[in-house]
Amino acid sequence: MSAISMDRRNNLWEVTSRTIVYAAIGAALYGILLVAQLPIPGSTVSVRPAFAIVPFFGYAFGPIVGFFTGFVGNAIGDQISGWGALTSWNWSIANGLVGLIAGLAPLYLQRWVNGSTRDRAIGGAIAGVIAVLIGFLFVFTDNILQGLDIATIFSTLYVPVVVGDLIGTIILVPILVYAWEPVKAQLGR
Amino acid sequence: MNIAPRYLGRGSWLARRDPRVLILVVFFFIFTVLQIWDARLVFGLLIISVIYYRTAAIPWAQIRRNWTVVFLFIGMLVTVNMLVAGGNVEAMPEGEPDVLFYFPLLGTPISAQSVSLAVTQFLRYLAMATIGFPVAFAIAPSDFGVAFRRLGVPEKFAFGIDLTFRFLPSLSADFQSTVDAQRIRGFDWSAGATGFLTRVRRSTPVIVPTVVNAIAGAEDTIDAMDLRGFGTGRRTWLRLLVYDREDWLVLGFFVALLVAATLGGFLGTSDELWTPQFLIDIAQG
Repeated sequence: MSAISMDRRNNLWEVTSRTIVYAAIGAALYGILLVAQLPIPGSTVSVRPAFAIVPFFGYAFGPIVGFFTGFVGNAIGDQISGWGALTSWNWSIANGLVGLIAGLAPLYLQRWVNGSTRDRAIGGAIAGVIAVLIGFLFVFTDNILQGLDIATIFSTLYVPVVVGDLIGTIILVPILVYAWEPVKAQLGR
Repeated sequence: MNIAPRYLGRGSWLARRDPRVLILVVFFFIFTVLQIWDARLVFGLLIISVIYYRTAAIPWAQIRRNWTVVFLFIGMLVTVNMLVAGGNVEAMPEGEPDVLFYFPLLGTPISAQSVSLAVTQFLRYLAMATIGFPVAFAIAPSDFGVAFRRLGVPEKFAFGIDLTFRFLPSLSADFQSTVDAQRIRGFDWSAGATGFLTRVRRSTPVIVPTVVNAIAGAEDTIDAMDLRGFGTGRRTWLRLLVYDREDWLVLGFFVALLVAATLGGFLGTSDELWTPQFLIDIAQG
């Protein structure tokens, strides 16, 4: 393992003022933009364009920022809606895992992450898709916690959430990467 | 646009408690409910949760809509679970179910046991939501950071939670400015969006500038924190949290409930589904 890749791995888990501020901004934005939900008829979940913020923040700023954005952002959204920040804590963890897995992209999508802006945009979408598919598997804990049948969780919760969030992720994450790259260069980051 | 947690329980008995109490009670209560499948006991827990909720004095008129959403969400989830799972749920007692009828089209057996299970799940969800509402409405938003810190969350992350709440008003104002700016240009993101894809596509001109502006503007906050030596030493909080006698009583009560539920589960008295005899009688004709 080269020194550079070791350094990158260590940087992924570094917690600085930058990490905390980006995480807080991501969580606040996600919580606020959750108001832009469109209910899926016949389901208990919604299409959430704002969800793309979670894999994007993970991909752009690392796994800690991604996890915080998903976990705290979802809890804040629940808090604002009145459901209570902690009532559906396993769903907040699932959201957090999406951000965390997207943030680990430098470990499994090196070629895309280190490529051109176009490559990084495509890499963001791929990381987002992988993160959504894996992260939301955590909602199957409702089988133990709520006694819901696996088939019910799959058909009523997992599939509608994943499909809705994949649409938002595939469309919005590359656009956000394209918009962020020039700003990032301008800020000297 | 004012997107912020609503502190509706301000001044109530529950709002005067240490915020850690409200957070811990949710955890104790949820893990209590999760261990109980006897609807009679779950109903008892629901009554306890309602009494607890009432001490938050949350005005009904302002959260009627929230409760409607809760009832719809829980009702739909439980109904779908009954129709999809039928008689094949782990919580169901072993043996042949007492079938009431077969659901048309799906052919799912609706039995006395599956109806009991649905009612029990509904009561469990309702009890958990009821205990969760005071967290949303009876904790001052500025208390979350210090409360989580004092509950053992690492300092930087507790500060992150605090910062998140502080960002809410300014970022929601920025979001509204972006929406207004696009409207002036003749683009209304919420109009004419009927399909899923259209909705996502139309949200792009609002979400992308809001996100990029927020990130670009973060540099000032980062500089301010760095200049004040953030993360270089132990942090102190302006708000001092101390449990009083009533806090300990509330915590003691909910811990006792959790212990009782755990013991009941080991003794096999509370973790089995209870089916009312009249439902079995109806099924058996």
